[in-house]
Amino acid sequence: MPVSPELKALVDQMPDEDRRHMYSNVYEEGQFRREKGRGKEKEKEKEKEKAPEPPGQPKSYKDVDKERIEAAIAEIHKGGRDSILGLIDMLVEPVATNADAKPHYALHALALLVCRLEDRKARVAFAEALASQLGGARPKAVLAYLCQELGTAGGKEVAPALGKLLTDEELCDPAARALVAIREGAAEQFRAALPNASGKCKLAIVQNLGVLADAESVAALQKAAGDSDPDTRMAALWALANIGDAGSVPLLIKGADAAPGWERMQNTKACLLLAERLVAAGKKAEAAKLYTHLRDTRTDAAERYVREAAERGLAAAR
Amino acid sequence: MDKKELTRRGFLAGSAAAMGLAIVPRNVLGGEGATPPSDTLGGALIGAGGRGPGTFNELGRSSSGKKHEVRRLATCDVRYKDRADNKTTYVDFRRVLERSDIDVVAIATPPHWHALISIAAMEAGKDVLCEKPMTRFVAEGRAVVEAQKRYGRIFQVGTFGRYGASKDKGNVQRHKAFMSGLIKTTDMVYHARGGFKVKEWSGMVVAPPQPVPPNLDWDLYCGPSPLRPYHPHRVGGTHRGYWDYEGGGLADMGQHYLDAFCWIYGRENTAPVEIEAYAPPAHPEATGLWGWVELRYADGLLLVLESGEWGKPYDRAKTKGLNLDAALGEEGKKKLAELPDPEPLVEFGDAVKTRKQGEGNSAEGFHRTVCILHLANIAIRLGRKIRFDPVKEQAIGDDEAQRLVNQPMRAPWHL
Repeated sequence: MPVSPELKALVDQMPDEDRRHMYSNVYEEGQFRREKGRGKEKEKEKEKEKAPEPPGQPKSYKDVDKERIEAAIAEIHKGGRDSILGLIDMLVEPVATNADAKPHYALHALALLVCRLEDRKARVAFAEALASQLGGARPKAVLAYLCQELGTAGGKEVAPALGKLLTDEELCDPAARALVAIREGAAEQFRAALPNASGKCKLAIVQNLGVLADAESVAALQKAAGDSDPDTRMAALWALANIGDAGSVPLLIKGADAAPGWERMQNTKACLLLAERLVAAGKKAEAAKLYTHLRDTRTDAAERYVREAAERGLAAAR
Repeated sequence: MDKKELTRRGFLAGSAAAMGLAIVPRNVLGGEGATPPSDTLGGALIGAGGRGPGTFNELGRSSSGKKHEVRRLATCDVRYKDRADNKTTYVDFRRVLERSDIDVVAIATPPHWHALISIAAMEAGKDVLCEKPMTRFVAEGRAVVEAQKRYGRIFQVGTFGRYGASKDKGNVQRHKAFMSGLIKTTDMVYHARGGFKVKEWSGMVVAPPQPVPPNLDWDLYCGPSPLRPYHPHRVGGTHRGYWDYEGGGLADMGQHYLDAFCWIYGRENTAPVEIEAYAPPAHPEATGLWGWVELRYADGLLLVLESGEWGKPYDRAKTKGLNLDAALGEEGKKKLAELPDPEPLVEFGDAVKTRKQGEGNSAEGFHRTVCILHLANIAIRLGRKIRFDPVKEQAIGDDEAQRLVNQPMRAPWHL
């Protein structure tokens, strides 16, 4: 769909970048004290000052005008779904131009506006418009940006659309971040995607099931604790600990007895975390098993601090 | 690797033996007037650029004026791909923390790594001196506090305003009055203006991708933050201009400016409850302009941060100092006089040696200081007033604010 001239004119109201490619307008105001720079830094700044202005930029920069930006964003908001999709159409892959700097900023400013309106319908409409574009053929960098903005303004209504990206090698991280930010409805998406995920997508899913403390995922996480990838194993054990699953005590103890190194440290942390969760849930006997094991096995001077931590925990668990 | 070879005593003994007939420094052999090897701390520096060497030099800080001996056994930086030998020079901090001959760690990476490496170091049994700002968002700070408690380690942030402030008698009285709860309400207005380097440490809004330098592990640099296309402005001191790594000059310089404020006015166990900012709509990735932020505490204290670099000057409230006598009243003054003075703050090196935990090395106090700046940045980024629960450390009735209080991380990194 072609972008309307009206929308283009509104987007043009967004701030101009200065010669440092920032919104700080330092050269216009002369407030950036270059004399503070030393040596090479000072020389670099002098070079930048001499540099030609970015093509297409006005000779004189205006200060960033809050009222003008907000008025333009409010007008864009009045344009509804068409304006949102128009902004998205103006986004491009990161390239060596400033072609999408203004729509990029405008879309985020619009996300902030719909969150501020206290109008749930407006926020949902904005989020659904963004989510409707996740399945298309747009560049991955644009889709990642839409995920990021859904992490700001999205709600449970966009969780299924984000969930579909969880097995995409390039998009699973931004999608997972957005889902964890949204929280509501996220766990179902992670659970559904896990059987079909591999590599870093699988790791992201396992970890975030732990972040969400999803008790329904205990069996899947216990299976992941035996994964061939050490990061996935560690993430699974930590996730089980964060959930506070008493049934995973033997698995955690086994993980904590890994050979000295990073994995042993991380799994020991998971044991202490699980013990704390169990104490908080009143399951002191199960917590004591973990503490006792750590107290009795960390006999080397190099792990005395773990033994001491376990002893403190054991005292608290009694 | 044989763990026995990695103990500090074993390492030093082995080093001395390996040196054979070479000249052995007195501080290695020990003896009168010199630090014996068992008293020399094994140190590591993680993040070797910028403030790195300076932070490492602070590891031995002592109130006696004579620094404790710290030997640098490892230096780690994600820009060391071309020189790492995994013996003294590293790219991956995890390999450094696996060494049991390292007692203390100086962390001078960009702030998006501060919390995670601090926590990991304490999980490895190390004591930690971390550069400011302590964290990148609120929930990270709580996780550091919990790790310090869990492992009983020494933790400090490389900002020392509270040390100087705590030597002033008047400040000690104010600190006692607030921390003891003798002052329950106040109409004090504390105004911090300028010095936040807002424009100097803004981010680029157009940063075309560039090839990753061969010596840089870009994935590890990004760590818990999104794996963005590389641009040199995101690395080095200019990292401050990106929300992925820090919170602009406000978060960076603010921890210095407010360290003494928090101690003097007893903000060590609490946080502002209402925060409002005057700023243009924030950019999604680059930090940028703001005018001022008002942060009100539950006891009425109003903290105003003003950049002086954008927009109309702040004019909503006038600076108002604390009249301690009036605030306490006669009864309060008597009670205050009966309270013991707080123990002197313990310098990092002394705390490592004595294992003394106190206000000088309480992760909680440093966390509460940097929380002010994180909350200010949330109000700037959202463009509206937010409310915050200082006990639960959660935004009240505000999903979008809460998403910035506790931000997602890229796997495998998590709190």
